Amino acid sequence: MEVFLQVLVNGLMLGGLFAIIGIGLTLIFGIVKVINFAHGEFLMVGMYAAFLLTTALDVHPYTTAIAVIPLLFVFGMLTQRFLIQPLMNARDDHIQIFVTVGLSTALINLALLVFGAEFATTPPSGLRTALEIGPVRVLVGQLVVFGAATLLVVGLTLYLNNTQFGRAIRAVAQNRAAARLMGINVNWVYIVTFGLGAACVGLAASLIAPLYPTSQTIGTYFVLIAFVVVVLGGMGSITGAFLGAMVIGLIDSFSAYYIGSDLREVAVFTVFLLILILRPQGLFGGRQTLSHVS
Amino acid sequence: MTDQTLTPVQSPPSIRLRGLVALVTVLAAMLLLPVAIGDEFIYHIFITMCIFAALSTAWNIVGGYAGQLSLGHAIFYGIGSYVGVMLVGMGISPWIGMFAGAALAALVAVAISYPCFRLHGPFFTLATIAFLEVFRVLALHFRDVTGGATGMMIPLNIGWEWMVFRERLPSLIIAFGMLLVILAIAWWIRTNRLGFQLIATRERESAAKAAGINTVRVKLYAVAISAALSAMVGTFHAMYLTFIEPASAFSLPFSIQIAMFALIGGIGTVFGPLLGAVLLVPITEFARGALGGEAIGLHGFVYGVVLVLVALFMPNGVMGLVSRFFDRTKAEAPGQAGAIAKLPAQPEPDDIPGPPKAVPEPGDEIVRVVGLDKHFGGLHVTNNVSFKLREGEILGLIGPNGAGKTTVFNMISGFLKPDGGEVSVRAADGGWRSPVTPADYAAIGVGRTFQIVQPFAAMTVEENIMVGAFHRHHSTDDARHAARQTAERMGLARYLDAEANSLTIGGLKRLEVARVMAMEPRVLLLDEVMAGINHADVLRAIDLMLSIRDTGVSIIAIEHVMQAVMALSDHVIVLNSGRIIAEGKPNEVVRDPDVIEAYLGKEFTHDA
Repeated sequence: MEVFLQVLVNGLMLGGLFAIIGIGLTLIFGIVKVINFAHGEFLMVGMYAAFLLTTALDVHPYTTAIAVIPLLFVFGMLTQRFLIQPLMNARDDHIQIFVTVGLSTALINLALLVFGAEFATTPPSGLRTALEIGPVRVLVGQLVVFGAATLLVVGLTLYLNNTQFGRAIRAVAQNRAAARLMGINVNWVYIVTFGLGAACVGLAASLIAPLYPTSQTIGTYFVLIAFVVVVLGGMGSITGAFLGAMVIGLIDSFSAYYIGSDLREVAVFTVFLLILILRPQGLFGGRQTLSHVS
Repeated sequence: MTDQTLTPVQSPPSIRLRGLVALVTVLAAMLLLPVAIGDEFIYHIFITMCIFAALSTAWNIVGGYAGQLSLGHAIFYGIGSYVGVMLVGMGISPWIGMFAGAALAALVAVAISYPCFRLHGPFFTLATIAFLEVFRVLALHFRDVTGGATGMMIPLNIGWEWMVFRERLPSLIIAFGMLLVILAIAWWIRTNRLGFQLIATRERESAAKAAGINTVRVKLYAVAISAALSAMVGTFHAMYLTFIEPASAFSLPFSIQIAMFALIGGIGTVFGPLLGAVLLVPITEFARGALGGEAIGLHGFVYGVVLVLVALFMPNGVMGLVSRFFDRTKAEAPGQAGAIAKLPAQPEPDDIPGPPKAVPEPGDEIVRVVGLDKHFGGLHVTNNVSFKLREGEILGLIGPNGAGKTTVFNMISGFLKPDGGEVSVRAADGGWRSPVTPADYAAIGVGRTFQIVQPFAAMTVEENIMVGAFHRHHSTDDARHAARQTAERMGLARYLDAEANSLTIGGLKRLEVARVMAMEPRVLLLDEVMAGINHADVLRAIDLMLSIRDTGVSIIAIEHVMQAVMALSDHVIVLNSGRIIAEGKPNEVVRDPDVIEAYLGKEFTHDA
């Protein structure tokens, strides 16, 4: 029973981690309708930034968020403006996929050039200390990630529902042309949204850096799972992504314990395929129109 | 007809010949250059080039023709490698093993793709990446059979039987031979029925369905063929490398590279992937040799940047540049523009067609619609709609905007599932059937057009019509012949080689009808084919519809052009807010107070 509880809690903590990465991805997908295959590399860039700042300035890793979040925000805005926006009207979405894949490849190898193949270990600053809560143990840093993910979901939802710009974002997501007719600067909305999505990863990077050693492949590792989380939650749904992350976190944790830790990904991706067969609109998504009939 | 400005694009045989000469030159060079130079490293580069060209060409069958972007094609390559090596370990020749690998890869491809192909969206791309990871993990896990992380060496049995040689030349010959076979298959697909159906599916899935294509099935064929071919290359490559391991057999960068060569050469073209590999592989290999360990990551970084730049500035690849160059030379050829051929037996423009002469008596019922119901959320779009269509009859379906006309069409062509009610169609053999999918409807002989025209943009007018003709014909020649006849009849003969996109709206509406006519339907559903075209065109269209009807086809037409409705219809149904509010002879229906109220409002009903 204690083992079961521990595996359960591990799963939820892992879910928090997937959530904080998946939220930005689902935001970008939901609004800009672009799958950002470089999302994981945004995380990697943020983690390297957090590592450099922490070691150079000798500050607490969390402090770096002050710089990493704006950095990623601008990085995301630039990506949208110069790489995605020119292709928004492309006849098919392949070409957008290629651009983000190219960006991802370039960033991974740039990291390899700059940092080499060594791991960059951000000082944990006590965040890898285990807390004993009743029968289970969790790391301080994991709890913070979980809390931050929850706050991020609540904050983004409030922002999208209650501010003028948030409404503009949702309007653009519903119908680009109609939003433009209502006087919304659609391109600017896309740029800001992409920036916001990237900023979410910036926050994630500062929180994850002290928990995981940074390498150029860290992004690939997390983003594959984040894709599954986003599909499971219903693409574009922020709350869905959070709940989806919990489900995937639990599947990951339980399959690692009961099947074998090297087969976790097989379990997660099999679930992904099952979702596509059984509930393509996602476990928590609304109705999705599957037919495109004029 | 207002589309005189259009320039039909012909492709003179001289250009085709030049293309063929270029292709043969490139292929000959790939085989002869290394033999002439005789250097080991050059051999290696050319073998690698053949392998990448073969893989990219195979990728292109699903990534280009079917438009399903795979970023995990190494799954199939890796399966081929592993199956080949394992079977060699049991003493089975890779020439046999490659087919076992191909069969397994095709199975895996279908299993992964089927859930994705039913959906719209980026699911296939995500699934291929995800399963690439799954297979890598599985290869690591089952170390008893796969050797785990350390990989597997192949036993060094030298000879053709084992695909392992001391010299490089035999390997080059095998790689080159595989490339030729795969190119031939890719070319054959592109020029035959399957290729037309794949490209139609990629361009407009709903129009492809209306043309009777089982879009999921053709995409599955494409992925299965592509996977099988990739696996066979994988088997050979494993023999050539003599060693395999999970990280390189199931590698994401490798998969991206395969797709990237196709993009750079020209996605969806037959020879683009070949061109991409020929241009890039030597640069890559030399760069790898020259930079080596000095700047680890540099060559990947350059790859990524090139990928971004090509996507931004050269999305059609090198083939796109080449064809743009040829288009310019073609555009200079004088005397190609001209007026559209007149329709056979067309009336003079001011000759208003009278009531149809010598109407054949409508025959037996061919479509029965009973109690159709459909809700969109809280909106009751069609409410208990029932009607019958007789053989050789033209049934006019009219009603104000939002009455539910197109929804009825979507339900009687399989594009929407009704919440209640039933549609039955009498098959050619006289039995009654209840078709479900668009493909069922097409198979039983119900063809439809779309209110918003849906041309296959990347195809010529002729190819568009051929997609319809392939519904009845299997050979390309027959389909082409049928398409030309239909084009003649529809007044599109001058534009056969024009890009569908370059037609005016009147031309596109005719193309829409031509495509469905080429399917030789028994029941024709026409959704506002006369909207937005000029008076003269309306008169021609009326004449055309009558001539179609005279060949025994039954027609249901949604139409707002009242002149056409009155002149054509044997029977009219008026739909308002999802209900049938009136039906009967055209003259009676337009006097019906309910109909006038629905169109104009209550105050006009008294004057009727």
